[in-house]
Parts: sequence; C-alpha cells; structure tokens
Amino acid sequence: MNLGRDRARSIGWMFVLMVCLGLTMVLMVRVNAVKSQVRLAERQLVALKREKVFLETEFETRSNQQQLRALNAVEFGYSAPTAGQYLAGERQLASLGKAAAPDAPAPIRVASAMSDDSSAFPAMVSPLSGKAMAAVPDSKTNSRKPVDAGSLGKRLSRIQTQEVIRE
Amino acid sequence: MSGVSVTATIAPGRRQLVNVRRELLLTAKMRVVWLLVLFAVIAAAALFRIVLLGVLQPATSSQSMNDALLPVRGDIVDRNGIPLARAFPAYALWFNPKAMGDGGSPLVKTPAAVAAALLRIFPDEDLAKLTVRLSSGEPGYLRRRILPEEANRVHALGEPALESPFENERLYPQGSMAAHVLGFVASDGHGRVGMEQVFDQRLTDPASRGTPAMLSVDMRVQGALEDELERGIRDTHAVGAAGIVLDVDSGEVLALASLPTFNPNLIDSAGQANIFNRFTNQVYELGSTFKPITFAAAIDAGVVTDLSRRYPAGKPLKVGDREIHDSHYLGESLNIPEALIHSSNIVTAQVADQLGGAKLNATMRSLGMNERPYIELPAKGFPIWPGGEWSRITTMTVSYGHGISVTPLHLACAYAALVNGGVWRPATLEKLVPGVAPEGRRVFKASTSARMRQLLRMIVVDGTGRQADAAGYRVGGKTGSAEKSMKSGGYNKTSLVATFAAAFPMDHPRYVVIVMLDEPQGTAATSGQRTAAWNAAPIVGRVVPRIGPLLGIMPDDSRDIDISDLSPLVGKGAAE
Repeated sequence: MNLGRDRARSIGWMFVLMVCLGLTMVLMVRVNAVKSQVRLAERQLVALKREKVFLETEFETRSNQQQLRALNAVEFGYSAPTAGQYLAGERQLASLGKAAAPDAPAPIRVASAMSDDSSAFPAMVSPLSGKAMAAVPDSKTNSRKPVDAGSLGKRLSRIQTQEVIRE
Repeated sequence: MSGVSVTATIAPGRRQLVNVRRELLLTAKMRVVWLLVLFAVIAAAALFRIVLLGVLQPATSSQSMNDALLPVRGDIVDRNGIPLARAFPAYALWFNPKAMGDGGSPLVKTPAAVAAALLRIFPDEDLAKLTVRLSSGEPGYLRRRILPEEANRVHALGEPALESPFENERLYPQGSMAAHVLGFVASDGHGRVGMEQVFDQRLTDPASRGTPAMLSVDMRVQGALEDELERGIRDTHAVGAAGIVLDVDSGEVLALASLPTFNPNLIDSAGQANIFNRFTNQVYELGSTFKPITFAAAIDAGVVTDLSRRYPAGKPLKVGDREIHDSHYLGESLNIPEALIHSSNIVTAQVADQLGGAKLNATMRSLGMNERPYIELPAKGFPIWPGGEWSRITTMTVSYGHGISVTPLHLACAYAALVNGGVWRPATLEKLVPGVAPEGRRVFKASTSARMRQLLRMIVVDGTGRQADAAGYRVGGKTGSAEKSMKSGGYNKTSLVATFAAAFPMDHPRYVVIVMLDEPQGTAATSGQRTAAWNAAPIVGRVVPRIGPLLGIMPDDSRDIDISDLSPLVGKGAAE
C-alpha cells in the first residue's frame, strides 16, 4: 500500500516534471517563434528602409535642380515673382477691398459677363446666323449639336473650313 | 525444531526486511529530494532563460537593425535636410579571370568578341583597351559604376568572369551643383577638396556617421546662383565666374559657386581641371569694390566728417612719378557720395591719403585681408598683401583695390561687416544654431555701418550698380572692374575681373551677394561693355529676386532705406 502510494507520488512527480518540461518547451518554441517573427519584421524594415532611401535618392537625382531648371526653361518659363505679386501683410490685403475714394479714377474692367449674342469663343459662332453653333439645330437630323468634348474636334475642324472659305 | 528453526529464521529475516524497507525508504526519499533539486534547477534555468529572453533580446536585435542601416559613409545634407551627398550601393563591373575555376581560358568567347559585346553596352569604352584588359588575365575593375540595366545586359552575355559586385559608392543627387563645397570621395574612400575632406573623420566614424552632416548651404539658393552665373558666362564669354550668398549676421554661407564646375560623381581629366575654387583659392585685385571699405575706414576714423566736402577730380592725381586716373572725366570736383556713385579713383586716393597708411592697414588687417580667409574648406588662397609700412602710393592704390590681391571670400566677409553694424565674423559652411553666431570682432562703428548702407544703396539707385536694382529688394552694392595683373608686372588691358559686391535688403541687411566674372568680353548682351556695371551687376539683379523669397525676404516697393539726407548731395546725371 505504501509502495503503491510512493509509486503514485513519484509518478505524479514525473507527470508534473513532464508537464513543466512540456510547458517550458512550448514557451521556448513560442519565444523562438516570436523572436524569428521580430527578426523577419526587422529584416523587412531594413529592406524597406533601404528601398526608401533608394527611391528617395532616385527621385532626388531625377528631380535635381539642373533638371528642373532645364524643364522650366523648355516647358514652363516661370520666372521669379515680382514685388507687385506680394502682399506685405493684412493691412495691405485689407486695402485692396477698400471702397474707391470720391475722386479716384474709374477702375479698369478686364472681364465682362457673357451674353448669348457675343460669345467669348468666336470660333463657335455661326457666321450666318450669328448665334452659337451649338444652339443651331442640324438641318438634316434636326437635332442640336452636342456640346461635349467628343464632338469638339469635329466642330473645330468645321470652323477651320469656314475660316478658309471666308479668306 | 523446525518450528524453532522457522521462528529463528523468520525473526532475523523480519529484522532484515525492516532494515531493507527503511533503507529503501531512505533511498526513495533521497531520490525525491534529488528530483526536487533537479526540478528547482530546471525551473531556475527556465526562469533565467525567460528573464534573459525578456530583458536582453530586444536590445541586441535593435542594435543589429541600426547596424544594418548605418551607412558606410555619412550623408551630407543642406540646411533644410535635402541630401547633397549620400552613400549609395551601386554595381561595378569587375573582371575575375579565375571565375571559371578550371585553369583554362577565363572567357567563354574570345576576348575580342566579349569586348565588342561590352562596347555595345558601354559605347564610350575603348575597344582596343578592353580587348587588351580581357586578354591579359589580370583581375580588375572594367568600370566603377554601372546602371542596373547595364548590369543585367552584362549578365546576359553569359560570361562568368564578368562580375557585377554591389559596391558602396558616393552619389551626389544634385550632380555638379555645389561641387566645390562638397568635394568628392576618391577611390581610397577618403574625401577630397571640399567638405567631404573636412568631415572625413566624422563621416566615416561608426559612432557619428549615422547622423548626416548638415551644411549651411541652401540647395535652392545654390541652384539659383549657379544658374545665373552660368547665364552670365554665356552672355559675356567669360572664362569663369564665382559667387557667394552670405548671411551677414552669422557668417553662414548660403551658396558658394565657382564656375566652370566639375561633376563629383565622375572625376575625369576635364573635371580635374575645374576642381580649383575661384572663390576661396584664387586671389584677385578686386578693384573698386574696395572703395566703400576705404570710405568706411575714413568715416570711422573721423577723417571724413562732412560728406558734402568736395575733392578735386578734374585731372589725374600725381603721386611721385605715378599718376592716378579715373576711367573717364567725372567732373571738376566730387563729394563723397558722388565719388562712390561714379567710382572715382582720384577722390578715393585723396581720402586714403588723408586717412594715412597705418589706419587703412589696420582696418584691412581687422577685416582679415592679410591672412587666409576663414572657412572650413581646405583650399584657401593666401592674399598678396603689401608688406611693411605702407608708402603713400601703396595706401592710395590699395584704397581702390589695386596692389592688394585677396580672394572674393575676403571681400564677402568685409562687406558683411560693412553692412551688419560693423562686426566681422568668419564665414562658415556648417549650419549654426539659429540666434547663435560667433562673436566676431568690431571693425566699424554701428553709425559708420548705417552710413555705408545709405551710400551703397545710392550706388545702386543712382550709380554704376543700377542694373542690380531688383525692384522691391532694396539692393545696395558696389561695382569693381580691375585689370588683371600680369606675372611679368603691369596690367593686362584686355582681361578684366568684374565684380559686384552687394547686400540686401539695405534697410535691414540680411545677405551679402558677391558675383565675380573672370575675363568677361563685351558682347551684344552687355551692350559691348566689359565692366561690372554691365555684366556682374545684372547677375545680382537676377539672383536677388530668385533667392529673396526663399530666404524670407519679400519684395516691398513701399519700403527702402532712408537716403533723403544724402540724395541732395548728388547732382543726378550732371557728372556723366
């Protein structure tokens, strides 16, 4: 009976040992798994950071000052803004909205409202009717000409022929 | 008998059994104790391991990541953090004759065929040289830097001997921009010429190379300055040009250019010839740009107290057997503002004569004109400084910038002192903490500096610097056109050095801009003129509007330095 109890106790201890060992093994495996995940993530980070530096350098090289200057010279022709394009502060900005003084010269108007008779786009006005081309229905189909981007080329080419005729 | 014997045998047998049992129990207990000890040791080891993993692991791994990302050589960035020089892994083309490993021919095809194939990929190579290299059997670089596409094409040739190893190279994304400031890295891995050489230790030290070295240069300002200088060279057919943008209060160099320049990405013989820095290493007689310094010294010393006093200027000034001339007749007499506006040598020489050699010498010394300029760059020119006590004629010629040769950088620092309130500070290419500038030394009184700002502005408003007057930026400055001195003595009438030394905005000077053209020619773009008023001044007039807003100086037509107390002294147009 004693022997049986001792055996049971030692078996119990063995079991506890095995469980502990198993748990330690599981823990070690988990730790190693996390560790390798961290390493992998780090490696990815390093690779991405390197790639970022690569791309950044490529962008810097492609968009270097000399390239941009050449591009500006050929394509855009932008120049440094002049003094008149700057506002010194809120006071100057507010002065622009000020009502004209009684003896001030009349303001110069540079824009006007568009009306039906005078289009800002003269090429689209029919020389016969004097109305906008889009407003005149086609004689064959009796439908209004569409005013979308797709038909713009057709309309413009027609206007060119009309200009040739006029010449 | 048998019973007795049985009991007799049983009794000692029982005792023995009890003993055995006791021993067995003891052993079992001992075993359990041992097992417990074992458990304890294992548990302690596991605990120790957990602690080890939990505490030490992250530190070592982060270290390794930092190591992996640490560049081989630190970056150099401009004051806004834009990279100007960067460590960059690039492919090289290496010839390894032992790649086949069989002791036979290193190449699959004939050397001539491989060379011809390489020539198709790299058209600038020399066919004969390549053939010799490939047939020699010597290992070595065929090309130092090739593009990934080119590496792929080389790989497609199917020659194991042609290897394309990844090598750490130095890349300058901005190409030739600021090449003289940056310098380059030679094949031994050490910097040459510019800040690459100055920062060499810091850029290669593992402890410090992780953080980029920051320069005071602003890449955008540098680009604008180089761009306009290049245009100036094109317009005037000059052999070279140089320029600077210098912060007057701190001595920080925002841009420094010397043209023609070189490409630090590729140092070839053409580039080698241009490595010499005209701005910090070459000394010139900078001519009339010295006049404001002379006048400032005279005002500071109390020699000139009345700016309206008139000095005779009608005929050449005779000093011993020498004569001092003006470029043309400027009028019978001139006052100080007129003398500066029209750049009169005769009046400047008289003022210097009144001031005396010793005082002019002392002013020039305190502006650092007798020693190498102060800047980090390794190549700094030594001025040609008239030694000993200055004679009368030496004093007079130095007063208008002849007989003394300094680098344009000397002039830039002197002009900064002239307009910033009178404090001379060394120039620096390292970015300073805002608001913390080197103490410097006082050369002029603040009142003298204020007077000089007015006079310099008048030169641009009414005088020779008119073409530099960028609207709204309140530019002030002085032209200088000096004939180059020849080695044989005397001056070369056909080769000039045209300089414009300017500062802006004059009501509160922030930046000095100096532009210098080496041997400009008269062209249609300069109305056939060769002097600074026609070639160097317009460059400043174009540079300032480009860099002003970048540096936080907005143009304002409604603001200017008050010159109303001096403008009545100038008879506008009368003298010309």
